[in-house]
This record gives sequence, C-alpha cells and structure tokens, in this order.
Amino acid sequence: MIPILSVTLFLPLAAGLLLLVIPRENVKTVQRVGVIFALVTFVLSILVWVMVAQANGEGGPLPIEDYEWIPAFGVRYHLEADGLSAPLIAMAALVTALALFYSERTVELRVKEYFFLFLLLETCVFGVFLARDLVLFYAFWVLGLLPMVLLISVWGGAGRERAAVKFFLYNLLASVAMLLVILVVFAQVETFDMQEAAQKRPYGEEQYFVNACIALGGLFFAFAVRLPSFPFHTWLSDAQGEASTPVSAVLASVFLSTGGYGLMRVALPLFPDQFYFLTVQVWVFPALAVASIVYGALVCLAQWDLKRLISFMSVVQMGFVTLGVCAASVGYALLSGEAVLEGQALFKSEATLNAGVSGLSGAAMQMFAHGVIIAALFFLAGILHRRTRTYDLKMFGGFSKRIPHYYGLMLVTGFAALGLPGLIGFWGEFFVFKSTMGLVPIFAFIGMLGVVFSAGYTLWKIVQHIFLGELDEGRWGQLQDMRGWEMLTVWPLVVIIVVFGLYPTLLVDMFNTALTALLQGLL
Amino acid sequence: MGSFEHTLWLLSPELVLLLVGGILLGLDALRAYWDASRWTPYVALAGLLGAYISVVTLWGYEGSLLGVLACDGFALAVKAMALLATGLVVLIASEAIRMRHGLNNGAFYALLLLSALSICLAGAARDLLVIVLAFELFGIVSYIIIGYLRDDPHTGEAAVKYFLYSAVASAMMLYGLSWFYGVAGSTSLAAIAAALGESGTALRPLLLPPLVLMAAGFAAKVALVPFHQWAPDVCEGTPAPVVALFTVAPALVGFAGLTRVLVTVLPVGVSELSVDGRTLLITFAVLSMTAGNLVALWQGNVKRFLAYFSIAQAGYLLVGLVAASPRGVTAVLFSLVTCVVGNLGALAAALALFEHTGSYEIKDYAGMHQRAPELAWPLLLCLLSLAGLPPLAGFVGRLYLFSAAVEEGLLWLAIVGVLNSVVSLACVWKVARVLFVAAPRDGDRLAVLPTLVVALGIAVTGVFALAIFANPILVLLQPAAEALVSAVP
Repeated sequence: MIPILSVTLFLPLAAGLLLLVIPRENVKTVQRVGVIFALVTFVLSILVWVMVAQANGEGGPLPIEDYEWIPAFGVRYHLEADGLSAPLIAMAALVTALALFYSERTVELRVKEYFFLFLLLETCVFGVFLARDLVLFYAFWVLGLLPMVLLISVWGGAGRERAAVKFFLYNLLASVAMLLVILVVFAQVETFDMQEAAQKRPYGEEQYFVNACIALGGLFFAFAVRLPSFPFHTWLSDAQGEASTPVSAVLASVFLSTGGYGLMRVALPLFPDQFYFLTVQVWVFPALAVASIVYGALVCLAQWDLKRLISFMSVVQMGFVTLGVCAASVGYALLSGEAVLEGQALFKSEATLNAGVSGLSGAAMQMFAHGVIIAALFFLAGILHRRTRTYDLKMFGGFSKRIPHYYGLMLVTGFAALGLPGLIGFWGEFFVFKSTMGLVPIFAFIGMLGVVFSAGYTLWKIVQHIFLGELDEGRWGQLQDMRGWEMLTVWPLVVIIVVFGLYPTLLVDMFNTALTALLQGLL
Repeated sequence: MGSFEHTLWLLSPELVLLLVGGILLGLDALRAYWDASRWTPYVALAGLLGAYISVVTLWGYEGSLLGVLACDGFALAVKAMALLATGLVVLIASEAIRMRHGLNNGAFYALLLLSALSICLAGAARDLLVIVLAFELFGIVSYIIIGYLRDDPHTGEAAVKYFLYSAVASAMMLYGLSWFYGVAGSTSLAAIAAALGESGTALRPLLLPPLVLMAAGFAAKVALVPFHQWAPDVCEGTPAPVVALFTVAPALVGFAGLTRVLVTVLPVGVSELSVDGRTLLITFAVLSMTAGNLVALWQGNVKRFLAYFSIAQAGYLLVGLVAASPRGVTAVLFSLVTCVVGNLGALAAALALFEHTGSYEIKDYAGMHQRAPELAWPLLLCLLSLAGLPPLAGFVGRLYLFSAAVEEGLLWLAIVGVLNSVVSLACVWKVARVLFVAAPRDGDRLAVLPTLVVALGIAVTGVFALAIFANPILVLLQPAAEALVSAVP
C-alpha cells in the first residue's frame, strides 16, 4: 500500500529540496526539473481524485493515512482525502504547474530559490487540504505564510516590502487567533482530531454559548482574513498589486481557497449551533458575506488598475462562499430541530438537507471555479503587461483588432467570472443562491445586486476599456497576439472553464457526496 | 542503600565533570612541558560525553542522595540538557578561541564544565542551601568566564556589570530563602513543604515577602523584565564564543532551581496558597514576553538581538511554570531543550558571520544566503524555531506551554503569549529580510570553521528532530514532571 496521500503531499517539497542542490548556474535544469515535478504532482492529484471517486461510487473507504505523531499530546499525523479536498488539490496542482511553466519564461532573478518556495507553498497548501488533525492543519496553514511572503517581497514590484509585511502580519494575526481557539477546543474535548472534536461539541452546553460564540468568532476571523472577506480584505489588493504575475495567480487561486475550505471543514463542524445563531439571530456572517459581494463589486467598478480590479473580484467571489456556508448552517439548524422557519415550506427533512448541502456544494464549486478563473485572469493580465508595460485601463482600447485570440480568451474568462450560464462560474453562484433563497432569502436578494455589478465591471471596465473603442495606433499598433507558451498557460484553464461549465456533474457529484457526509455528521 | 559505591554511582555525572575539570586545569599547569592546548576542547567534550553516559545509566532511578540532592527524572533531564548546552558551547568556542586568542584555554573549558556542574546541582537540589550553592557556583564561574578574554576592553565592563547585578540578585534571593528557613525551621524543601502544609492558612501571610524577594532574585538571574538590564549589555560586550553560554545557561540554572522550589514548597494548588506570588510570576512573564520581543525588533546588533530574544524565551518558559501542572513542567523542560538548541545554533551562525565580516551589525550580513548559505539557512531555521513557527521544535514547545496555560484556566496569558509569537516572527522577518532579500555587498563565497559546521549541524538537526520525534522526548519528560508535581508530602 503506497501512501499516496503522503507522497502527493511531500513530493513538491522533496522536489524543491532537490532543486536546492542543483548548482545555481544550471538555470534551465532547475526550471525543467521544477516544472516536471509540478506536472507529476498534478498527475498524482488526479489519481487521488479518481481514488476518491471510486470510493464514493462503491461506498468504500476514502484514502486515509492515520499515524501517531505525538501521542503524549494527542497530536496525530492524520491525512484524508474526500470529495471536498480532492478537486481543490487537483486545481491547486494544476495552477501551480502552470504558474511554474509561466515562470520559466519570465523569472530570471534567483530562479532556484523561486522554484523552491513555489514548491514549498504547494506542499503547505496540500497539507491544509489533507490534514484532519487540528495541529497538523495549523502547522501547514502557518508554514504556508513563509514562502508566500518571500515570494512577494523578493520578486515583486516597487512597493513589495510594504505589501509583504502587511500581508505577513495580518495573516499571522489571524493564524494565531486560530491557534488560540484550537487550544481552547483541546482543553474542552481533549482531542485534536477534527472529526472527534466536532462530535464532542466543544462548549456544547447551554451556559457556554457565549464562550462558543467568541471561539467561533476567532475562527471566523482567522478564515475571513484568508478568504478574504469584508472587512478583512485590505491586505489582498496591496499584495496582488506588488506581486509578479505567477505569484499573483497562485496567491489568488491556491492560497485563498484554503480560507473557504477552513470555514467549511473546521469552523462549521466545530460550532454549528453558534454558526446558525450568528447567521440568523445576529446576522453577522451573512451580512459580511453580502458586504463582500456588493462592496467588493462596487470597488471593482471604481478600479482603473487591471490587477487591482482582478484582486477585488476575488473578494466578491469569496463572498458567495461565505454565503453558502451560512445557508448550510441554517439547513443544519432546521434538520437538527433547533429552529423552525415560519412561513416557509421547507419542513421536509430531505429537501432541507438538499438545501443545506447545496449551500456548501455551491461554496465549494465557487472556490474551484474562482481558482481556475482568477488564475486565468491573472495570467492574461500578465501577458498583456508584458506587451504594454502598464496595468492602467485608461491607456488601453480597441485591442480586439490587434489581438483577437487574446480577446477571445479574456472574453470567456470574464464571462465566467460574472457567472454566465454555460461556463463554470455559473454553477457556484446558482447553487449558493438556490439554497440561500430557501433558507435566508433576504441575503439572496442583496447578493443578486453583486451579480449585476459584476456584469457591470466585467463588461464596462474589462471588455469595453481594453478591447472595444478606438485603438491608439501610434502606441499599440505593433501589439503582438499570444505566443505559443502563453497560450499553453491559459488554454488548459479555459478548457476547464468551458467543459465544467457545460458538464459540471463530475465536480458536483464529488462535492455533494463529501458535503452530505459532512452535514449529516453534524446531526 | 547508603553504601559508598552506590553514592558514587549516583553522583557520577557530577564527579566526572569535576574530574575532567581538574584534568584540564592540570593540563594548563603542565604547559611548560607539553602544550596541550590543541587537545583541551576534546578532553572537555570527552568529559561531557562521559557525564552524559552516566546520566543515561542513572535514568529511571528515583531517590535521594546524601539527603540534600535528588536523583529523579527531573534532575536527570536537567543534567542532560546542561551537558548538551555545554557541549555545543565547547564546539562553538574552541576554534575561535584558539585562533584569535591563543590563551591557556584549559582553564576556560574547566570553567565551562564547572558551570555545567552548577546547573546539575541546581536541578537536583532538595535543600535551600544546595540551591544557593549551585547559584553561587554558577555566578562565580560566570564572572570569570565573562572576563576571560582580557584583551578585549568591553569584557571588563561586561564582567563588572554582571558581577554587581548578580551579587545584588543573590543577596535578595538569599534573604528570601532564609525567610523560608525562619518560617519552617529547616532548609530542606520537603520539611518546608510539610511545615507549610500542616500550618494551614496561618503562615500564608508571612510567605509573601520571601516569595517576592525570591522571585526578584530569580528574575535577575534569569534576565526577566524588569531585572533584565544586564543581559543585553553583557551579551553585546563579550565575544561570542564566551557569551554563547549566557544566552542559555542562566535560564537553565534559574528554571531548574526555581521549578523544584515552586512546585515542592508551595503545594495545595499554587493559586490557593500564593495567589499573589503567582500573579507576580505572571507579571514577569507578560512583561518579559512583550518587552523582550518588542525591543528585539529595534536592535541592530545581532548579539543584543539574541539577548532580548532570549529574554522573551524566558518569559514563555515562565508561562509553563506558572501553570504548575505536570503538563506545564513537561512543557518547561521541553522548551528549555528547544531554546538551548535554537539559541546556540543562532549564536554559532552569528559568530561565523562575525568571523567573515568583522561586524556584529545585522545590516552587514546583507545577502549572506548567497555568500554563505550554510550559515544563513541554519541561522534562519534556529530563529524560526525560537519564534515558534511550525513544524520546528520551538512550535511544539510553544504549543505545549500555551496548552498547559489554557488547561489551568490562564486563557488570557495564552492570548498574550500567542500575540507575542506574532511579534517574535516579525523580529525574525527583520533578520531574514537582510539575510535573504537584501542584495549582497560582494559576491564571493565564504568558508566556515569545521567545528562551527558541526555545531550548526547539530542545532539544525535538533530543531527538526525535536519536532518530528517530539513524542519519545515528551514520553521521557512527562513521568519526570508528574513525579515532581506529585511529590508533595
């Protein structure tokens, strides 16, 4: 029995260490080896996906590795892949491989360390998705900050130091909040295992409800900074503005998806009653979610810098993730008999379960879709920047005449971002709205506004300002269309956008199975 | 039970250290006939190894020795840690001293072994007089070690500063400890504990002054805020091979002595008896963690930076001590090991960088990861372990410490500690930025002394191994801690 999960998890790190040994002068070797190992990791992640799909189909056991690490303290080396983690891991592996491929042509400074840090980051992100022990989860969560901050501060733009420090401190503060809550949970339930801790319901009794809410608040803060959610999103635009293109792509698609994942895997199962309370009785979480959607979209509308616009798009899309999890918590509450919705017809438990799972499934779909879409957008922005040396939207115009191939790809990606049916971005939003309408309808109405604004900034800012209108012949008359390697970076993502947009069953089934199990495990 | 051979066996670690110390002094005396200065470090290392072997053979023994010393798990753990720390210091110091100073260094290594002996005694003491003896022995040896390299003008100032501070601290602590004698009529810790336990609440008010004095003396010895002023100046003033000992040894000797005193003498739940004493220690812990980390952020000299960083480490250790549970004591022991490994590794790297650049200013180490990666990477890893980044050893220790605090209901202390971890990592980022992000002044590769490479290798291995193999070590330490906490008459 090969421990496929550990191999997938540590292969990038091993590759990175191998790269460190290669002499500095053999730049090409370093790059090729790095990209090859990244592709091998992607293939392994697909293998894990297939194994999970098989296990789901046959009702058999999921891939799992559970060893003792520090039994004296109750910490275990517990990895597990299910329908929620496997697609996200595959998405992360693909985006990292594409980013390394892009970096091969664009990064000249200290290539060895760059590739090592990228691969270390990939291991840390995989660790977050696979870990089922709270200390292991936290260890990978915090360790991932180190390569990210170095990648921004060494290979970034002019203001990179400041952006890197802001990123580091903000995220670190959020992480230590999570550490505190983990310690408090441990003091309550004497275990670090996620499933056991969730079953034992830390602070479950009535008199500790406020304590539990505070603990959930701490966890939510930790994940909200990473998501990012309004009002903790300010670090992202600075970091994205200063980071180089492949680093931005990986930061947005791979790094940010760990936030939503943590919300679903750690925050909701540990404190589901409190999550429901803070969703329906006190309105904190869904308010932040729709604020992210609407405020984020409004800020996008006001942006004239392409990279910052794309970074705020992340805020908008992650708002849907939060909203989906909120809806799921309401579904849980209805199913467990905690609450009764007046005036709604959703009393039948199967429909409620479906609605709750829809919420989570939509959130997961949204994370996957966001990962693919935003990576493609950042790569496209970088490709444009290589030719124009600027991200200023006011300078562009009429590019559809000179670079039609690029125009087509950007159009598809942009429409996917605003949620056009037939492309991958639609399904996440659809499922989230479907469950929210049934469970917490007022927030669905407000969230719809965000969709309208999304259309606004995509069509007006991106499509109109870059591609339509007058072409400045003197300045942009010699603009080149996409080269082979640039196409090779973006096309896989666009193919995924279209294929999973038309045929999302593969993904939706995976998510549904895993999330039904998660939701049912809470009852 | 009382046979001479048995006593010798129980005393064997200390006896080996004394014997080898004497041999080293003898080698110095024979200098006229045979210049053995090449061999003194290896003799010292052999002595430490011999003492370590006797510690291993003694493991598992529980009992008292000569009535005033204990030979239990806690004492043996402290001994092992002291030997490890001194071994690393010998590795760091040896080449540098021989090359730059060429002095009679047999005496230097004898002094190092004696300081290890004092830490062993402090960990094993069951009597107040032995604690005082251990601290004083450590003090006297320290004064000489600090002032050892006489030709450097700063060392004289550092030695006098340390001497004055330490003497006052010793006086305070001695006065406080004598008060315990007055209260209980005996200097044996067990007798004091019995007397306090029997008297119920009658003697409680009398205990606050000695507790305050003892805590103040202890804080000055270990360099806790607000009695820490000697540490940065001493660390900056003395050359690195000499000061390597002082980033870790005061913490070792202080915590070894105080843990036993606090846990044995103040039973019945520390909170019940000495709620003010506990508050005092908590204050020291919070101040040390916060001030140590914040001031370290502004330091430009790497030795001062490490000094303030170790002040913060002492603060974290005190959090575990305040918890006063078996988990707390285990956490203190584990974190002492990680601190030793991390601090000495960082200092070894700093010494090597000084050898190349002639400066202890951090900004002169710009871009070192390209010129001397075998120095920059261990320095970064050791600092990250001290700051508590997963998956390094310091993280496991920190996790254990805060978990012990949360379990005892000191949640807000854990919050302060965790927030200070953020500041610690910011301090490390400051150094890492210079080493890894800034561009180097010139690009040639630098060579490193072989013994330093060995020391750095041990430090880096330790930093990872202590995390991965944390369980065997915790399994060893936990019974020791439990025995200590439950050994209440």
